[in-house]
Amino acid sequence: MIIRSLLLRHGRRALPKPPTPSPVRTCRRSLTTAGASDVEATYQNPHADQHYIESAAGGTKSQAVHSLESRSSPPTIALEDDQIARDWHFFHHQKKHTEHIGSAVQKHYRPHEQVSNPPWPRDITLELLMASQAHIGHSTSLWNPSNAKYIFGVRGEHDPIHIISLDVTAAHLRRACKVVKGVTERGGLILFVGSREGQARIVVRAAELAQGCHLFSKWIPGSITNGQQILGKCRKKVVNEYDQEVTGFDDQLVQKAALKPDLVVCLNPLENYVLLHECGLNNIPTIGIVDTDANPTWVTYPIPANDDSLRSVQLIAGVLGRAGQEGQSARLEKAKRRIVDYRQDHGLSPPSKESEETRTKREKEQSLLAGADAFDVSEAAVYADADADEPERTDVTAEQVVNMERLAQMGSVDPGLLSEQLGLAAEQADVPYEVDAPLGQQRQQRQDEGAAKQVNPFQRPTEDAEQTSAWQGKGAESGRKE
Amino acid sequence: MGRYNLAPQRVHKTATQLLQTKRAPASPPPWYPILSTVPPSSRLDRPPLQRSQLPGHKPPGGRKKSRLYKPLQLRYEEDRLRWEYFNDHPWELARPRVVLEDDGRDAERWDWSVPLDHALSRPRAGEVGERGESLDIEWEAVRARQAGRPINGEAVVQRQRYLITHGHPPQLAYDTARKEFYRHRHQVEIATRVAREEALAVGAFFGPGPLEVGMGLEDRAYEQWKGWAEKEVAAMKQMAGAAYTGTETESGREGLDVPEGPGVEAEELQEVAGSVPASSRGQLAQGGAGVHP
Repeated sequence: MIIRSLLLRHGRRALPKPPTPSPVRTCRRSLTTAGASDVEATYQNPHADQHYIESAAGGTKSQAVHSLESRSSPPTIALEDDQIARDWHFFHHQKKHTEHIGSAVQKHYRPHEQVSNPPWPRDITLELLMASQAHIGHSTSLWNPSNAKYIFGVRGEHDPIHIISLDVTAAHLRRACKVVKGVTERGGLILFVGSREGQARIVVRAAELAQGCHLFSKWIPGSITNGQQILGKCRKKVVNEYDQEVTGFDDQLVQKAALKPDLVVCLNPLENYVLLHECGLNNIPTIGIVDTDANPTWVTYPIPANDDSLRSVQLIAGVLGRAGQEGQSARLEKAKRRIVDYRQDHGLSPPSKESEETRTKREKEQSLLAGADAFDVSEAAVYADADADEPERTDVTAEQVVNMERLAQMGSVDPGLLSEQLGLAAEQADVPYEVDAPLGQQRQQRQDEGAAKQVNPFQRPTEDAEQTSAWQGKGAESGRKE
Repeated sequence: MGRYNLAPQRVHKTATQLLQTKRAPASPPPWYPILSTVPPSSRLDRPPLQRSQLPGHKPPGGRKKSRLYKPLQLRYEEDRLRWEYFNDHPWELARPRVVLEDDGRDAERWDWSVPLDHALSRPRAGEVGERGESLDIEWEAVRARQAGRPINGEAVVQRQRYLITHGHPPQLAYDTARKEFYRHRHQVEIATRVAREEALAVGAFFGPGPLEVGMGLEDRAYEQWKGWAEKEVAAMKQMAGAAYTGTETESGREGLDVPEGPGVEAEELQEVAGSVPASSRGQLAQGGAGVHP
């Protein structure tokens, strides 16, 4: 084997020099006599290179030289190209003439696709929920009577179970999707929690889609109520509206408390009572899958469904992750058009202008640090992994540029232009799914909404998204939060 | 309500109050607008799930216990058919069956107007039906759509239900569906047997079946026991012989595998017997290694 790899590695360089025997060849001669032919016999590669190696190894010098000459002549290369073209044509000829033969494979359930390509909120159907076993509840003796309104009936004589009503499930799931989308659209941080066995992959995937945090191990009690002690050492960073990191806040971030999520999605509320209780104490809304034995008052938005079937849990988590993805992309899309219709109370002040001297010093330090990181690559990778596993990704979304607001305050811009931009944002802020829209009324309603925008152009961008609920028809109450 | 913590339901209300009293930061949290437009559903309400009795109908024995808030028992027409079929064919339940669904609309694909033994009743080539249609082409078209239909106990129930809803009397429907199924199953069994015989004829080896494997394990256990018992008997005989000679033979006990742990322990105890801690003589300075190795 060693000889073979030597041949392959040095074949081109070492072997074409017949007048002076190369070290490889001498080594080869001394090592093998009969074994050489076996090695060459294993190589049936049609390329000229290989012929060349074979002849050089097994044959005489003259043969090697001869093959070198024949290879270097241009007709050989032309012939090869011709062969490739002919192969290509033959392949497509075969494809064309055989593509209608055989049976057509229908689309079918492939478990890995639930994680790699989760369904979108618009794909939720009762059939899909039923195929995912979302309707199967627990034994009737285990039920929590608070769930009576989610229950469709009892099935079975000897060991009866409750059947969850799938239309209720779909309604609650869509509602939860709207919440997830709305929160991510305003730059909120979502925490996905699923600590049962097998839920880790979909939890991570959903968090990845929604650009939030994930937790698939035990919730450390106090991570919210006592976050400064538990998560105080986690790194924080400041990002702008394009999700790019903004530097220069290090001294301010040291003073900042650990981040709290703006929304928590819990796939198994039964095992995470402490987490949900902490969220209640800190006024953080929660979304949870509520089986027939769970208490629906533990969460803000219950989704009545089967939390024991991995397929059902993956469906729900995947759909929520996709909703988060929709929200994030809508937010980034608006940011690209310089529209930032939300703000967060990070309480950070813009970094002061540093003197030239300190800046050069800091840059030098950073370059040194970067050099150290690059040097210890393996350790850096380990740390990166540890960071990824951290339940709490701590970053502060800082909106430095609230251009619209400033412009409106200055009043130096044409109000018509401003309202046009606002109306554009309004139209795209909270578009209902097609299946939810009343037939034929949607367009009319949207036009009315646009007209209302024109009347009141000087709205603060912060409330803008709030008043754009064309679906709920609450546009008239938009100013009440002031 | 003392039992329930309703804080999760009231997050929006609490946030509004905090904002109004200016105890929270100036601008609302990111979830605030969406929670006002999409509020959570109501909780802890008991909808009446069923009637206590039929309207205008009074139970004979006075007032019945109200089941108003209990979930309904779900019953379907097929349940009775299943009950009958699987009582008549209990071993059908022992056969594995795929219950995985693709998209939840799998059941819509199968056409139960097609007999269960449709695959076996292929018309001759060129055969023409009453209305002048070519039967073999029709048969192939049906096969193209229905070839994947699983033919099992559930198929009998579905076929029977189809026949009943299309005017067959229940018993006739049951017999029709059952006999179609028998024919299909018979054919499958023959095909399996012939395939096995063919394979054996050309030299296939299927390995020992579960019964052979079980018997082999049992035989091995018996053989082991036999070896052990022979050794035991030899040892006992030797001991019995030694009892009459009057000499102590330790060799006779070797076969019995008596553990020699207690002997060693006793020896070690002998060594330190004279030294008793907390006595008038006191303890010898022998170290703990011998006693506590």
